[in-house]
Amino acid sequence: MDSTLPAVAEELLKEIRKAFQETSHGIDTFFFRLKFIFGPSAVPALDLVDQRSVTRVMSPSGRTAYQVLGSSGKLYTCYSSCHFCTCPAFGFTVLQKSESLLCKHILAVYLSQAMGACQDLSVSEEQLTSILLAEEEDGG
Amino acid sequence: LCRGGLAERLCRLQNRERSAISFWRHQCISDAKIPSDKSGVLIVKILEMFEECTIQVAICQQLEQSSAMLSSEDAVINAGEPILKVLFARETAAHLKSRPQDVIHIYPPWQKLLLKNADVPVIMNTYFSQKVLLSEHSETREQTYGLTKMLIRKNIISLAQMFRLDDLDDELHQKSSDNQVACAPQIHNNCDSNQHPLAQSAVNDSLLEMVESQGAVGWREAQVRVVIQRVYCLPAREGYRSHIQGNKPLLSNRGMFCRLCLLVQDAYGMFSEVQLQSLSSAEDIEQYCRRWEGKFCCLAGMKILQRTTRGRALGLFSLIDSLWPPVVPVKVPGQSQDSEMMTTNVPPPSFCYILTAQSGEIHVEVDEEEQISNLYQPPAVHGLKEILQIDGCNERCSFWARVLYLRLQTKHSVPINQREIGLFVTDSTLQNVVHIIPKVVAVSVAASCVLSTEITEALSVASRLVFFKDALWENGRIICVERTVLLLQKPLLYSAAGADLSELTGPVRLDELDSTTQANSICAVRGTVVGVNESTAFSWPICNRCGNGKLELCPQDRALLYCSQCSEVVISPVLKMQLEVFLSCPSRSQSTVKVKVWHEMSFGLFVLINMLLSLQSYEVQSVLGKEVGLLNCYVHSITSHPNCVALEEIVLL
Repeated sequence: MDSTLPAVAEELLKEIRKAFQETSHGIDTFFFRLKFIFGPSAVPALDLVDQRSVTRVMSPSGRTAYQVLGSSGKLYTCYSSCHFCTCPAFGFTVLQKSESLLCKHILAVYLSQAMGACQDLSVSEEQLTSILLAEEEDGG
Repeated sequence: LCRGGLAERLCRLQNRERSAISFWRHQCISDAKIPSDKSGVLIVKILEMFEECTIQVAICQQLEQSSAMLSSEDAVINAGEPILKVLFARETAAHLKSRPQDVIHIYPPWQKLLLKNADVPVIMNTYFSQKVLLSEHSETREQTYGLTKMLIRKNIISLAQMFRLDDLDDELHQKSSDNQVACAPQIHNNCDSNQHPLAQSAVNDSLLEMVESQGAVGWREAQVRVVIQRVYCLPAREGYRSHIQGNKPLLSNRGMFCRLCLLVQDAYGMFSEVQLQSLSSAEDIEQYCRRWEGKFCCLAGMKILQRTTRGRALGLFSLIDSLWPPVVPVKVPGQSQDSEMMTTNVPPPSFCYILTAQSGEIHVEVDEEEQISNLYQPPAVHGLKEILQIDGCNERCSFWARVLYLRLQTKHSVPINQREIGLFVTDSTLQNVVHIIPKVVAVSVAASCVLSTEITEALSVASRLVFFKDALWENGRIICVERTVLLLQKPLLYSAAGADLSELTGPVRLDELDSTTQANSICAVRGTVVGVNESTAFSWPICNRCGNGKLELCPQDRALLYCSQCSEVVISPVLKMQLEVFLSCPSRSQSTVKVKVWHEMSFGLFVLINMLLSLQSYEVQSVLGKEVGLLNCYVHSITSHPNCVALEEIVLL
């Protein structure tokens, strides 16, 4: 059977984006849903959004990646072409145990997009390459 | 967590919800009968179950519905076999221990989500669910099933699929322009409101009404007309962060990022602080003050950043208090437009909304052509003498004074652009009277007070007349904090209750050193040389360009000096000499007065000492007993045991 959760998560994030852009809906409804679907990642992700921790990094060729400044001060990279994050929680909770759809950093990326809280940074091709490759060397 | 942020909000909601859930569950366990309020209860029968991440997805058939929750969408569902996808959180699923064919009652509040390309509605937030035990067989069934572990299929979700948040037609609006560097605000100035797209929407005159009816997230249709009482810059908490390794912040040459803000007041007397976009420096603050203060403006498309109260925002409320009571009668909510009541009895506001423009365009239209509003309260300018006599604490005050001397705080752990600046100022009310009040007053400029480049440059070059708008009088000191603005020109409008904005006539006089002199002040000193501190006499070269006293030897040529601040070789260094001299001052005869004098600044009577020093041979005897005329000094410290005053000769601007 086709999976359900991703479609639900996507619809929820779309709604949040709409609410922030157009209507004067109370955000509280969305918060309840966010908490239900994403569980313990919801509050930390919103905290990352509050602190404007998400940056979309773009290179001239059009490649993008996201960098999220985690609460510990470490910078994590999230891919823009698939759900991947360099944080240890992602490796454990999402990849290994399939207990969560996303880690808090990826969720923060989506929420920042939805609420227009993403910072933008343009870098050169070399710099973007080093961002994407650097994680390979550091990560386990 | 950020105070007032989204995370904090969710936390609060969550805590409330959690206690409601545990209370409800407790009730279920302890008392098998659920309160019989059946409205809004969803009754479902589980057909199939599987797990995705930690959420249990149950494909269910909806059984009878209670009428209360029928909506237009429900009517479309085939009444014969409505299928639902019900999601249960991990905790709920563990509590329910449900199997296929079980009947579950889902009590409100639950939520329904309709997915775009699917027929089956999704039910979520199903915390308040309970299994219904149906028949006689159920007990035995429970027992059997309780022993065998039921295996639920787990769907592994692919990571390959990203979520798309925008629909195709929204793609054009996708850029997040929240944090771009803005050079000048894109604020429209046209007063011909008919041409403006916002003109069609109704103009409100109550901030409170706007906030309550439009909500936190953005006021699309309506605008509110307010008066701009003050314009100032607030330091921005988030500057630009480079997310390339190192996380070094990008600094402008000023080093300070700030946000242009307006303090506005509506026709009902309510205040709000509107934060506009980030400026890289406070270049144009003087311009904005002149053009905008006192004028009407229309706010649209605002987002509520925070609702702050008196206890949490003392600085903001000290400014609001200085504007209270309003100078003209304000409207009273709930009354018709015609009846306006005097507000002298109304207490000052206890809360204030902080608004910000939604991402994208700024929806603030200032009617520059229009006249100044009657509601506008220009800053009340007072002479320094009056200000020093203010009784209260945390009061805002405005004055026009001459800056005589500037001193940077010397804490080296604090970056230069964030250090406190000490200004020593005076005006005719202090100079022209012979009184017990001091002739010069120290004004501290905290790091939170945004200074424009213009002001900073002007202050370091020559003695200037500066208008201090909305400085704070706190515990006997004048300090410039957030929301204080320093301007080089006199304001166009001010209420001058006996203020004297005239120029100072004659040379500036400082108080003479005496028993009342305090540390960190400036004073004039006269006395007789009674000793020279030979151990502290030395000379050293400084850079003639920037005054850097820590020159290094040039690595290439050890005969040359190099200045690391200018990054250049110093061709003609200036020789600086320092000497500490002990004076006997009749005005403070009990103390040992120690004055640090510098070669560069010393003229007149100390030339003799300097010449002797430079020749590397001198006789202390020859300077002992010499009279020292009025020297301007900065008081470093005053100690009582031993009774010692440490001064440093200074040059006034």
